[in-house]
Amino acid sequence: MSVELSKKGLVLTTVNLSAGYDGRAIVSEIAVEATPGKVVSIVGPNGSGKSTLLKSLVGVVQVLEGKVTVGDQDITNLPPEEIAKIGVGYVPQIDDVFPPLSVKENLEIGGYLLNRREIPERIEAVLEVFPKLRNMMTRKAGKLSGGERKMLAMGRVLMLSPSVLVLDEPTANLAPMVATQLLEEYVRGFADHGSTVLLVEQRAKSALRISDWTYVLGGGRVVLSGAPKELEQNPLFVESFLGGGTRH
Amino acid sequence: MSQYLFYLATIIVYGAVDAMACLALNFEFGFAGISNFGFIIFQSAGAYAAAVLSMPAAATSNGGFQQYVLGLSLPWPFPWIGAALAGGLLALPFVFLVGKRLRGDFAAVGLLVSAVLLNVLVKDYVPLLNGDAGISIVPAPFQSFWDPQGLGYQFVYGAVAVVLTVLVYFLLKRITESPYGRSLRAMRDNDIVADSLGKNLRLQRTVTLVVGGMVAGLSGAILVGFISLWAPGAWGYAETIVLFAAIIVGGAGNHKGAVLGAILVPLAFEEVTRFIPPLANPALVPALQWVAIGLLIILFLWFRPNGILPERRRFLSGNPKSAEVPVPTGGESDALIKLGNLDELNFRQLLRLEETANDNRVILSTQGLTKSFHGVTVVSDVTIAVHQGRVTGLIGPNGAGKSTTLAMLAGTLPSSGGQIFYEGRDITNVPSNQRASLGLVRTFQLASEFKKLTVLENLVSAIPKQSGDSFWGAMRGRRHWGREDKENIERAMEILGGFGLEQYADAYAGGLSGGQRRLVEIMRAMLAEPKVLLLDEPMAGVHPNLAHKIGDQLTRLAEGGMTILMVEHELSIMDAFCDPVIVLAEGRVLAQGTMAELRLNSEVVEAYLVG
Amino acid sequence: MSSFGFGLITAAVLAIATVGFTMQFAVTNVLNLAYGSVMINSAFVSYYLNIHGVTPWVSLFGGVFTGAVASWALNRFIFTPFQRRNLAPITVVIVALGVDLVGTFGLQAIVGGGYVSFHQSPGKEFHFLDMYFSALQLVILAICVVVLGLIHWILKYTRLGKAMRATSANPNLARNSGVKIQWVISTTWLISGALCGLAGTVFAMNTGVFEATSAQLYIVLLLAAMFLGGPGEPYGAMFGALTIGLATEISAAYINPQYKDVIAFLALLGMLTFRPYGIFGSEKTL
Repeated sequence: MSVELSKKGLVLTTVNLSAGYDGRAIVSEIAVEATPGKVVSIVGPNGSGKSTLLKSLVGVVQVLEGKVTVGDQDITNLPPEEIAKIGVGYVPQIDDVFPPLSVKENLEIGGYLLNRREIPERIEAVLEVFPKLRNMMTRKAGKLSGGERKMLAMGRVLMLSPSVLVLDEPTANLAPMVATQLLEEYVRGFADHGSTVLLVEQRAKSALRISDWTYVLGGGRVVLSGAPKELEQNPLFVESFLGGGTRH
Repeated sequence: MSQYLFYLATIIVYGAVDAMACLALNFEFGFAGISNFGFIIFQSAGAYAAAVLSMPAAATSNGGFQQYVLGLSLPWPFPWIGAALAGGLLALPFVFLVGKRLRGDFAAVGLLVSAVLLNVLVKDYVPLLNGDAGISIVPAPFQSFWDPQGLGYQFVYGAVAVVLTVLVYFLLKRITESPYGRSLRAMRDNDIVADSLGKNLRLQRTVTLVVGGMVAGLSGAILVGFISLWAPGAWGYAETIVLFAAIIVGGAGNHKGAVLGAILVPLAFEEVTRFIPPLANPALVPALQWVAIGLLIILFLWFRPNGILPERRRFLSGNPKSAEVPVPTGGESDALIKLGNLDELNFRQLLRLEETANDNRVILSTQGLTKSFHGVTVVSDVTIAVHQGRVTGLIGPNGAGKSTTLAMLAGTLPSSGGQIFYEGRDITNVPSNQRASLGLVRTFQLASEFKKLTVLENLVSAIPKQSGDSFWGAMRGRRHWGREDKENIERAMEILGGFGLEQYADAYAGGLSGGQRRLVEIMRAMLAEPKVLLLDEPMAGVHPNLAHKIGDQLTRLAEGGMTILMVEHELSIMDAFCDPVIVLAEGRVLAQGTMAELRLNSEVVEAYLVG
Repeated sequence: MSSFGFGLITAAVLAIATVGFTMQFAVTNVLNLAYGSVMINSAFVSYYLNIHGVTPWVSLFGGVFTGAVASWALNRFIFTPFQRRNLAPITVVIVALGVDLVGTFGLQAIVGGGYVSFHQSPGKEFHFLDMYFSALQLVILAICVVVLGLIHWILKYTRLGKAMRATSANPNLARNSGVKIQWVISTTWLISGALCGLAGTVFAMNTGVFEATSAQLYIVLLLAAMFLGGPGEPYGAMFGALTIGLATEISAAYINPQYKDVIAFLALLGMLTFRPYGIFGSEKTL
């Protein structure tokens, strides 16, 4: 993988973050931190607000209280275009590509903010990460399979050499083997090359395997956090997913 | 002086005709949500029908200088009856355009284009209705006995027109204030949900267009009988826009608003220009009229989209304070939702549950159910069986196909393959509204309340087999459906009380908090008297305390014989209330059992934690 | 065969108009029923330049410019503010109808109801394979080919064009990629507005005599062409325009020419009833 793929990562922090729709908070008092070279994952049962949290970091959902900073810049409630400029790359869970555009054009839009001349180089760099896409440059993104589509979605984001990569359930709808490859080879790889990676995952075990730090969300708040090895030993961890039999 | 009186008579007739037309259009647009951009052709059909029915045969009359069909010389009231029928019949072909799930603005454009098309056809095909010249010398009713040019005649004509308009007002009001009217308004506010509660959208839209068409046709007959002439120039598509402006100004969804709009816009507006002295450019005045209509539309839709007389709220609970909604609060308040005396509610009685033997038979099942979108298979070969009287859970990771499966069971989404059986019958091809009538009712994940209906109306609209919830039922009047409706309202109030929301009975459903709206949705689904209740993430966004209370009630319902299938993420709910639980992953059935059993199933654990 | 020639001209003008119309729908999701009024106003601006001695090409450009600015203003001051209000889509369409009235009849109030025509002759007549074209018509054909080629080039090869297509396909993702979609949308309205102005002007030139309400019924042909090719699809619009243009003119040779436009009406109603996503589209694209 080309080391030029991402700029040196920046630190992403949230302080006392509450976010939600129409003035109603779905997540509250969230404090997370993601640092360069590390994969930080956010896991938790459905309805815990993981996706909403992620969306509030990239300008899609309104932040009601608290702050989000990247590096030394306050990005709270900035519009998505600005956040992209600052170097935060966001891969949504669904609607992650432009279906009527070709693979090449998807990547070109990914490089929208780049100088004209830089685009071919960047595309080359992305293709080295995802060689399968090379044979599909003229195919329309809407016609790709699930795994190919996700690779394109991530490729689009990589075009900007993001300092922070924010991924919303990248393995949703992917077959297990493809999912594992995506996480272990690519997501982990991005971090290993210096990016800051923050991801939300439903497949908690898989996420733990590649993470340096994990936050567990429940009912809109952080209920647990720690290094994966510790969390796995923690009985509360499994319980928070499968629901304790005695919790009423 | 007498010139003034003649003018007054004319105003009265025009006013009545415009009011009648606006009442009809408002019925279609303001109450039923059909944007009939082609409305003018229905009025025109009536005018032409009245003309060709009352005039003598074309070839023999007046030297045969006009060509038109029919020419039956019928005496009044037959031409006017024929006009109403013509307007109603013309509506039927348009049901295909409107009845399907076509975007409102696309359907509207289709109606607009149809109006243009018919205008062109009539203009060009002369033998039909005398082309561009139109039909003239249309006889006025009784003109052989009474001189239509006389002042007395004209005032009587005006009086008759007004009386008919008043009758139309009461007729339409009778429909809209009945349970059927409630169903029309529900369709207007959210047609997918109305369909899922058993409303037959196509039939409702047909009735609406036919009734509106008949009234429009009658208005055309009245007009042509007075002015004796009708030509394509009088019914360009832009005339419909004038009527829309009238309704927007007067108030959509309000009959008095329609009449007010008719008086202010087509009438006063057009007449005011008579009194402006002629200006240098003769084309200026009519052109400026159009400009003013356009401005009226834009300005009213910006500043006062509900019109001068907005749609009235229906206060059904009898409690004067019940319309106020306290300030919406954050999610925490849902924890404080104090449910009422839920446990004391007699569900069997309230929800009219049948006495069924709780025999654990299979009441709903699928065989190889499949769904693909463009080559991507979302649900694959799913075979499940839901037993009567149980609360069955349906869980799985995101994208597993749970909601899609539920949507196919309810009929909201067509399946790509496989079969669905309900009570022994293959219902794979049965449309969703019919499934609801058979007792297979669903809820929705996202906000699906009827926003412009009150909470109470939302609930009562779901109750099936209401004698007032059909066109003829509505026509028979309050005497026919009134008592039953009152009982239904009482039942709804009792359930509202049980869930602690009775103070919101007359509040608009759109103003409640998220958790409260969720409760309203569940109550509404329950009132639809389901045999099988399909709940799509009913506890999403609901505080755990409240969720468990709701779960308790679902258990009670199941004990009473109802079958419940619930898609949920909150696994503690599954623990507490569901047995069995079916696990879907990647579109397939992975396992089935109690939560305890599933927790020991390594495949399931993998699916949830790893995948 | 000569009707094929007429069909080509009709198709050419219609194509320019429809591509503009469909682009507006693609980025804003609004059926701009005020399009016809912008067309005719642009034609009149061009006409007034023309009768005051301005050369034909500059007059033409005047029409194009008017269309661009008027359409941009329409989006900026009417559609965007109304859409922000979260009203039902039908409401915005009714607003568009209101604007159409103001635009068309405001024009009529100013210029009067009489017919006018450009001070130019149609030019020599050319004869080709049984088709007859005046010089003017050949110029129109040429303009059409050039302009559509230009649009194709913009959409496919320029950064702006890709941004336009991305914005119409997935506005949120476009924003996340750094695209300033408000600017893209405004520019789309400028370009499509230029097409609208151009279409209006050449329509008026080709028709010979015209007046303020001449373009009022054009919207039907436009809608027919757009829905045939699929709403929001520029290439579909070109296909639709060609089909409608040819079908209406060729049919005029076989049926009573008065009814030639009826084909367009019926095509539109058929598409709306059975295939509102266009011949090439599918349920998902809507």
